[in-house]
Amino acid sequence: MNRTILHCDLNCFFASAEMLYHPEFRNVPMAIAGDIKQRHGIILAKNVPAKTRGVKTAETIGEALKKCPELILRSPDYETYDYLSGKVRELYYEYTDRIEPFGIDECWLDISESIPYFGSWQYIVSSLLRRVKEEIGLTLSIGISNNKVYAKLGSDIAKEDEFFRIDSLDDIGHLPVSSLLGVGEKSIDRLHSFGIHTIRDAADSSPSYLESVLGKYGISLYLYANGLDNSPVARIDQAHEPVKSISNSMTCSKDVCGLDDFKIVLTVLSENVGRRLLNKGLYYKTVHLTLRDTHLKVRTLQKKLKENTDLAKQIYDEALSLFLENCDINLPYRSIGVAVSGLSDKKEESQIDLFEKSGTYSLKQKKKETAIEQIRRRFGKQAVCSLRVLEDSELSSFVNKNMIFKEDEKQI
Amino acid sequence: MIRKYVDVICLNDKGGNIKPLFLIWDEGKKVPIKKVKEICPRASLKVGGSGLRYTCVFEPNRIRHLYYDRSKWYVEMEDHVI
Repeated sequence: MNRTILHCDLNCFFASAEMLYHPEFRNVPMAIAGDIKQRHGIILAKNVPAKTRGVKTAETIGEALKKCPELILRSPDYETYDYLSGKVRELYYEYTDRIEPFGIDECWLDISESIPYFGSWQYIVSSLLRRVKEEIGLTLSIGISNNKVYAKLGSDIAKEDEFFRIDSLDDIGHLPVSSLLGVGEKSIDRLHSFGIHTIRDAADSSPSYLESVLGKYGISLYLYANGLDNSPVARIDQAHEPVKSISNSMTCSKDVCGLDDFKIVLTVLSENVGRRLLNKGLYYKTVHLTLRDTHLKVRTLQKKLKENTDLAKQIYDEALSLFLENCDINLPYRSIGVAVSGLSDKKEESQIDLFEKSGTYSLKQKKKETAIEQIRRRFGKQAVCSLRVLEDSELSSFVNKNMIFKEDEKQI
Repeated sequence: MIRKYVDVICLNDKGGNIKPLFLIWDEGKKVPIKKVKEICPRASLKVGGSGLRYTCVFEPNRIRHLYYDRSKWYVEMEDHVI
């Protein structure tokens, strides 16, 4: 069956949401930026007047202010973004149950089976554009094609509050290969060195040639370039796939120097991951530790456990031993992340060691962590905490600040 | 124009619907809402905001929009009126 897939992208989402609630920023250069004091001083989004003044997403606040000294900077308001994004998705659900989010502001919609009910894809597209604008106050760009990759490219090409349909390679063959989904900077350099510059160049190459250039992704690129990507758009009931990993990371307001600092940050991160595991009733088998040094070099370490567990204390212990065994404790670190994977909703049965305590599941610790969680649920997150967390309030200040504290759950 | 948040006395009916009955103005004056003509999701482009728009009829047959956005009510007001 010939599919009709839409890719709906909310234009300049963070900036548009800010302007929706503060119309006074519509005609002046304005940008959403992270907190400069907390070292998140980059531009996250900007409005059109800021864009025309040369302000770019992901550049530092300093660089942006040099280009546009009167630029108004606003902090991100994630609660509003979640609210608006949810409202837009509710509206999408009136047209199809096949909706796959791609970030907070983008979604694929498979409307193939909805077209007979609404008459035509044109009706659905124009209705979506109009209703999102009128009812929510935001604008969309919609890409339309028979596959997800072309649809995404279509929304990139479409102007604000408009749509762009891609029927075949002829419509987009001339575009640079970097416009395709998943082609990053490293891949671009490699593709260019092999003479592949446009989407048509990639489409005309053989899969084996592209595989020799880019490895496994080469085959995907061949399919993407030729519009042969047949990956389905998820249904509502498929959207909640089992969680494969849970992670927390933070960029510290000051560098983490020495073991004491590291332990403070690790305590908070481990407790948070542990709390989320407990609430989901999940057990983990592998602990991951990610460190980013002051040169922004990232190092990831991991350790697989003998048996799965749900204890926050064990996340802390394993991450600490990974750190002590593999890293220079005297180096300053800019950000730290902790993740657990190999998740299961069942505790593995294992033989209890007669002599060694380590490796066995501590019911006492489990009771302790459950009790702490109950106190926090009743009296708030701050009601009880490790003494270590109080040692340096600056380092542990991220506990309640979602802005700089990233929680992530991956289904992939 | 500006967004002016107001207190509203509502009826939450058995079906889960919310019907505004009175609007409380600054001096604490209860202004009765005679009729709700229309309820629709709508963005207020004049003062900013996005929520449910209640088109209300006040005495004597004056129509005003009342917006319900994330558990708060507001009306659109001319700056000089405030």
